[in-house]
Amino acid sequence: MTDINITIEDLALNNGDKLVKLATFSGQLDETNVDEKAKLIYELIEQNPKSLNLLLNFENLEYMNSKAIGYLTDWYSKVSEGGGKLVVAAIKPNVFDILEVVGLTQLIEFFSTVDEAKLALAS
Amino acid sequence: MENNSEEKNKEQITEITIVMPTQAYFMSGIRDFTLNLIKNMTDFSEQWAYRFQSIVDELCNNAIEHGSRQGESIKIIFQSIKSEYIQIIVEDSGTGPKQLKAEEIMKLVEERKDQKLLNGLIRGRGLPKIVAEWTDELEFSNLENGGVRVRVKKFLNDPIFQKNINLNNNPTHIILN
Repeated sequence: MTDINITIEDLALNNGDKLVKLATFSGQLDETNVDEKAKLIYELIEQNPKSLNLLLNFENLEYMNSKAIGYLTDWYSKVSEGGGKLVVAAIKPNVFDILEVVGLTQLIEFFSTVDEAKLALAS
Repeated sequence: MENNSEEKNKEQITEITIVMPTQAYFMSGIRDFTLNLIKNMTDFSEQWAYRFQSIVDELCNNAIEHGSRQGESIKIIFQSIKSEYIQIIVEDSGTGPKQLKAEEIMKLVEERKDQKLLNGLIRGRGLPKIVAEWTDELEFSNLENGGVRVRVKKFLNDPIFQKNINLNNNPTHIILN
């Protein structure tokens, strides 16, 4: 199985008024691991069905295949349907490039850094 | 004279063939190989090296999932003339549980190419949205063994190759063609 690590932590923004889930990805999402690892994010969405603020930190995500993109699209739809917000931060140019070609950059908001994404979610 | 010219052209072609077992486990190594091959043996930019990494991954995953059962193999052929093009051919063994004919795959690709985001689908973006978008030629053909051969080609002089992204400017406001 290709190496991929996803850690999830709580961020309290606006002096604790707003809770954000930060999911940090490290490694490569490919055919060998994506089905298994996608479950982590689905569990997070199921545990927070309403108004989930989900920040995906892609700083150390090196690769995404088309199935991973399919999951990302589905996470975005589910979070949005629940009145929440999903944003992506610190994405590598090659990963952004593949999201751009499938049209996902028209849908999801991207930020250069995690701090910028936090600021946007706090407002 | 023509023969000499053809001979000269032939000398410039680099061809590498890989036969790998039908297991996605090996794809990480194939992606690394592809990235280094494009970077070191063609005049394509680093951005295109990453793009070909995705193209090869998608083609092989399709061959593994649909075209060749466990224990069989798939064949990947890289052909390039350094300053002209890269061509990649992937062949499956025709033994997969969900084997489709070349015409059926092409029909699916054509149907999905123009659909915008393919919402609701986890799968189905690889060939129409990634491979078809990033190559100049995409061709499927049926093999005698019942398998499918997919051939993609990208020419270096395509003007789209000049297009680079600049994430640092304003990542939330990127102008899309």
